[in-house]
Amino acid sequence: MIQLNDLSKVFKTELIETHALRQISLTVNEGEFVALTGPSGSGKSTLLNVLGTLEHFDGGDYLLDGQSVKGLSDKSLSALRNEKIGFIFQGFNLIKDYSLFDNIELPLRYRGFNAAERKRRVEHALEQVGLAARRDYHPSQLSGGQQQRVAIARAIAGQPRILLADEPTGNLDSLMARQVMELLEQINQNGCTILMVTHDPEQARRAGRQVQIIDGHLSDASMYDPLAQNSPVAVA
Amino acid sequence: MEQFLYYLKVSVKSIRRAPLPYVLTVLIMALGLGVFFANATFYYRLNADPLPHKSDKLFFPMMLLVPWECNDNTCKPPPVLSYANVQKLSNTDIPTAKAAMYSSDAYLRLDTKQPPLPVSVRITQRDFFRMFDVPVLHGSIWPDDSARNEIILTKALAEKLFGQSDVVGKTLLLDDKPLTVSGVLDNWQMLPRLYDANSGNHVEPVEQIYLPLETGYDMNYMSNSQSSTFDDTDYRQLSSQGRTGALHQLQYWVQLDTPAQQQAYRDFMQNLASTEKAAGRHPSIINNQLTSMRNIVAYFGGESGDIKAFALVTLLFLLVCLLNASHLSLNRYLSNQYEFSLRRALGASRWQLQQQMFADVLLLTLCCLAGALLIGFGGVQLMNYLWPVNRLFSTWDWQLLLGLLLLALSASYLVTLYPSLRASFGALNQQLKE
Repeated sequence: MIQLNDLSKVFKTELIETHALRQISLTVNEGEFVALTGPSGSGKSTLLNVLGTLEHFDGGDYLLDGQSVKGLSDKSLSALRNEKIGFIFQGFNLIKDYSLFDNIELPLRYRGFNAAERKRRVEHALEQVGLAARRDYHPSQLSGGQQQRVAIARAIAGQPRILLADEPTGNLDSLMARQVMELLEQINQNGCTILMVTHDPEQARRAGRQVQIIDGHLSDASMYDPLAQNSPVAVA
Repeated sequence: MEQFLYYLKVSVKSIRRAPLPYVLTVLIMALGLGVFFANATFYYRLNADPLPHKSDKLFFPMMLLVPWECNDNTCKPPPVLSYANVQKLSNTDIPTAKAAMYSSDAYLRLDTKQPPLPVSVRITQRDFFRMFDVPVLHGSIWPDDSARNEIILTKALAEKLFGQSDVVGKTLLLDDKPLTVSGVLDNWQMLPRLYDANSGNHVEPVEQIYLPLETGYDMNYMSNSQSSTFDDTDYRQLSSQGRTGALHQLQYWVQLDTPAQQQAYRDFMQNLASTEKAAGRHPSIINNQLTSMRNIVAYFGGESGDIKAFALVTLLFLLVCLLNASHLSLNRYLSNQYEFSLRRALGASRWQLQQQMFADVLLLTLCCLAGALLIGFGGVQLMNYLWPVNRLFSTWDWQLLLGLLLLALSASYLVTLYPSLRASFGALNQQLKE
């Protein structure tokens, strides 16, 4: 599903160069739930952004479904993000003056679905996250946990094959965080591949496997996680 | 279409989030466009070609046929001709049509019991009406150029005098001389009235009545715009002195349809000048001019300097307004960059964001257009007040309005393009983290 070969990313300013990712090689199979862990500034969010094609990488290669994303046009990258990838952000990133329906419908608008199909998908996604009755609410009328569920609904409405979640429970209390995690697990069980950045060891352990990044490298600790149910991380 | 309506909805939502900067942007652009449009109205009208299909076929011949000696290039041929010189210039079949003319003032009434009504008169020849596409509503034009006690009226004057337009055969008193109405012209307003450009009267309305040239001379009508003489003859007795003396007051137009005709007429003028010189009536150097109607205003320097200067000033003002509007627009878009980035992250391509920008442009165009029309209308009224002489040139037609629409569209596009590109090329992850 996802294959990274010696992937590297450097942030450059006039004064310094910061190597955010260094020769990362990683394979993620379809249907996996992978937690990306590591200290702050280690490069895990950068890795997630590169995986989501929100950022370009400088070296190596990134293959998604066997196709290299290197050199793809803006149109192709946009289509890839729209059709294959769903995003969940720590800060929800909902548009405040749009209803829940309009927020969830937003990525579907750019996919060319007709109105009936968009409506069907949005309502299905709202049902999945338990907010079907609140489709005309605005984000400010919801709690943090509910807002994150709306963000998840937006991410899954297009039925993506990969869900990229950047600290999805970072802004939530423990109860809401647990609900969101349960929702993600349920989505994963339906066959969606999930990569989730988290600081929380408990949540990381709930993922199928953990990948730890330290100073832009995949650390040795990520080679094997005794609590993981699936096979160890494949590191090239 | 549904997607475009969605883009419009997104634009409206974006405006409602921060209405004040948007209103300011619209106001600034409407002001610049409105002021520019008000002046452009006059500029466009004054420089319009009233007969685009034949303005390059109508020519105003001028010759330096004067009794004094002038042998350098500073001597220009006089813009009006004597009766005798017109006869010489007419003595050829090369032109398709030809007409001598001048304007005068007279008093008109139905009978001696009525108070006289001052009217403007064009004293001319038969071909005038054909050359300048003057529409005839009732009756007919004179069959030849001989003197006749007949008059042609405009429809407006006929209705004013008789309460109806078909007054052919009725009698009028022109300076108390009875004349019969032989024709009534349909509504007609040649703008600008280029056949009278030599005297700078091309911004005036067309005359109310038309009198045969020979009759005008017989009735002793002098030109009210431009005349000169080189002797001490009393030309107030035009009927007896005007046709043979040196009184220059006639404008003369010829229609030359083909380049061959034009060249033949130039050769004819050259031969005429040489003959006159050989006869001792032409001591100056030969200086013939054959100016087309399209170039006649420029030749006589009749372009309005005020309007030209204002055109430049209003153009600069428009540019300043656009710069300010761009700045406001940039701030608006950068404050919306988060939403642009979110849409990009969720799968919108840059092209789809540009389509969103087109909806923004369309909305801005409509708002600016409405404002510009209001301000433009006010500007036109102000200019009519300041320069009433140009009042005839203050009307809008669909070409002008289409021009304003295209200008507003271009201005809105320019004002929106850079900010929207900046916003759509922003770093996605950075915006979404903030």
